[in-house]
Amino acid sequence: MQWNWAFVAEITPTLLQGLKLTLLITLLSAIVAAVLGLVFAIARRSPNRLVARPVSFLVEFIRGTPLLVQLYFIFYVLPDIGILLPPLVAGVIGMGLHYATYTAEVYRAGIENVPRGQWEAARATNLTTRQTWVHVIVPQAVPPMIPALANYLIAMFKETPLLSAITVLELMNQAKSVANSSYRYIEPMTMVGVFFLGMSLVSVVILRWLEHRYGRLGK
Amino acid sequence: MRKTLLTLALLAAPATVLAETLDDLKAQGFVRIAIANEPPFTAVAADGKVSGAAPDVAREIFKRLGVPEVVASISEYGAMIPGLQAGRHDAITAGLFMKPERCEAVAYSEPVLCDAEAFLVPKGNPKGFKSYADIAADPTATIGAPGGGTEEKLALEAGVPRDRVIVVPDGQSGLKMVQDGRIDVYSLPVLSISDLLTKANDPNLEKISPVEGAPVYCDGAAFRKEDTALRDAFDAELAKMKESGEFAAIIEPYGFSAAAAMSTSRAKLCGE
Repeated sequence: MQWNWAFVAEITPTLLQGLKLTLLITLLSAIVAAVLGLVFAIARRSPNRLVARPVSFLVEFIRGTPLLVQLYFIFYVLPDIGILLPPLVAGVIGMGLHYATYTAEVYRAGIENVPRGQWEAARATNLTTRQTWVHVIVPQAVPPMIPALANYLIAMFKETPLLSAITVLELMNQAKSVANSSYRYIEPMTMVGVFFLGMSLVSVVILRWLEHRYGRLGK
Repeated sequence: MRKTLLTLALLAAPATVLAETLDDLKAQGFVRIAIANEPPFTAVAADGKVSGAAPDVAREIFKRLGVPEVVASISEYGAMIPGLQAGRHDAITAGLFMKPERCEAVAYSEPVLCDAEAFLVPKGNPKGFKSYADIAADPTATIGAPGGGTEEKLALEAGVPRDRVIVVPDGQSGLKMVQDGRIDVYSLPVLSISDLLTKANDPNLEKISPVEGAPVYCDGAAFRKEDTALRDAFDAELAKMKESGEFAAIIEPYGFSAAAAMSTSRAKLCGE
């Protein structure tokens, strides 16, 4: 086994295409997970049991089953009942939904951390439920959650290779297909590792900054 | 640090002495083979029993060579040759067709299983595909093929761009993707497509075979380049079995033609 720089140069453009797709998937899934997670968290707190119970069950169900199984289900089983999603969409929904259940827990912890007095004060000043959430609770609950949310973002990024099971040609799948035709694994797999590490380090820096910028609210 | 390096060097050392002799295999009593799960070439039953024409032939030949057992592991086509080179298995018996670039990488036995290529398409072949070039010419057509398999290479060689060649993990997924309309064509050898069609029993699907412009390919058992002695021993038994008709008795029930394998040779197929 010898490291071949010429081969690295030859495969880098292909791998970069995979990396672009990996980043796109992570970004879209992160948005889905962030928004849906908040919806889950708020719905679980709903005083209406008809809302809270089913949502709780759904969240526990998704959290308790493997992402890979869910992806197979979304991609190969849903078409049987007429829902045919393109691989990328299926992947984003699968990842987003799965991670939404994790972020929902983060949100829950953040929301429960807002002192009771804040709720009471909101009620005393005659704010509606919506106003209470938008202007009082969420702005105080979100900043302390940033580090935990960032953790899940990085975890999600590193789980994108699972999508190769549903034929998404992301970074890992591109590397595999390169290895398939060249019979060499050392360069493609090393490059995949380097790309992932590089992107993770960059995102850590960005998230640190975010934390620094917004995380100290109220202290 | 130096100590770590030393340990690493020691760990890596056995990997460099890869050449396997028949005596080693006899002593350990089994041989490790790589298979796919693509009936009738290779098949793994629900109870884990390995069958299929390629492993059956290998099992019989190794038995005659004095190695009573074969241990099969399922692998992706593309991972077979790297796995062989890395010493994860001793031979590939999976319907991995001989093509000159593969012959460069491994030592093939004489031909074992021959088959042409086929397309699985929706009934009536709505887009009228007859060859890989037809798929390349239609800018919206997508083709499914196993990763690292012959069909993937043929499609890419015919000029189908990478993003329209979908890597399908296994036959069942490929079939499902054609049924769901995710891909226009799923390509495998003729007998594999026939097998899928029989099992699926879906009147909305159709087989197009043989694919125009794709010749009949033959596989062989593949060994590491340095294991030519093992390969030659395998070849000697294979030749005897071809002679006696036992070879035909194993592969013909699966639908393969023994005459096709006997009418050609490694030298011809590898372009040596």
